[in-house]
Amino acid sequence: MAASSSYMACAKFSMLGWLGGRRELKMRRVISVSPQEQAEVQESQEVNAQEEEKVKQPVQPRPVEPQVNVKSKNMGREYGGQWLSSVTRHVRIYAAYIDPETCEFDQTQTDKLTLILDPTDEFVWTDETCYKVYSYFQELVDHYEGAPLTEYTLRLIGSDIEHYIRKLLYDGEIKYNMNARVLNFSMGKPRILFNNDGQLQDV
Amino acid sequence: MRGPLSAWLVKHGLVHRSLGFDYQGIETLQIKPEDWHSIAVILYVYGYNYLRSQCAYDVAPGGLLASIYHLTRIEYGILDQPEEVCIKVFAPRKNPRIPSVFWVWKSADFQERESYDMLGISYDNHPRLKRILMPESWIGWPLRKDYIAPNFYEIQDAH
Repeated sequence: MAASSSYMACAKFSMLGWLGGRRELKMRRVISVSPQEQAEVQESQEVNAQEEEKVKQPVQPRPVEPQVNVKSKNMGREYGGQWLSSVTRHVRIYAAYIDPETCEFDQTQTDKLTLILDPTDEFVWTDETCYKVYSYFQELVDHYEGAPLTEYTLRLIGSDIEHYIRKLLYDGEIKYNMNARVLNFSMGKPRILFNNDGQLQDV
Repeated sequence: MRGPLSAWLVKHGLVHRSLGFDYQGIETLQIKPEDWHSIAVILYVYGYNYLRSQCAYDVAPGGLLASIYHLTRIEYGILDQPEEVCIKVFAPRKNPRIPSVFWVWKSADFQERESYDMLGISYDNHPRLKRILMPESWIGWPLRKDYIAPNFYEIQDAH
């Protein structure tokens, strides 16, 4: 009975009203998101109503307060002792807080999502392209609010970001980093004028 | 055309439908889900002591889900051509519930869990019916004909 009741508690977690944040380092691109305060929820609903009139404004990533003295903490045994994550090559999403400087990994803060973008440095990133990915991440997190916080949901978000990165690559906004440790062109071989007619071609 | 087991079941007044014989000449019977548990016990008592395989499939888009049991009678002294029978149980797609035969043949344990995982047939009275191949948070039943695979990213062009 204990197991089933803790499972219920798990299912109650949701991504209701998540805030986004972003933080940049020289090497490591990390973004964290956290839940909204109650007052801010109402505010953002008004903002949303205004935003509907505007056409397709990119979602602003909303920053998270940087935390000091973060210590690595494991998840409680009642939640399985395992973090929730979606890990693909360019996108790592953890339901945890990760300190960008010290890399301390606090798994107890499951109300935040942290995105580590392209840890193997396969692409050349600029501030604008990073910002695009972060705002797309924020958009997805807003889109999936209310969904259960499970690996499946995280993997849906992570896959959408990967597809978005692929689209950025085909549009020529990012390019392969030729100094990367592994040069296997995991999103397709480099081409010239691949997507110049605005039409995605089959690979 | 009915086989010996079907005749035996008719003699004892047990409801079933004969589906003929498969290519190896093994008798195939259809049994209703609500009768399946009692008939499974009767078949065990009759002598089918070995569940050779259990599997499931989706019959048609929007149609029924089928759970199949291959039963064998293992006896001392009979080395080839043991008695075999194939049982098919069909369940509606909206509420697929079939009694579990775990308590009759223990080897149905993982097989029924796999059928549950892939097709969402819920086996009543199974002791730990949960996903076995897919992650536990997975949504949907992958081997159903109306399943749409999520657009998950995998490394596609790496070489």
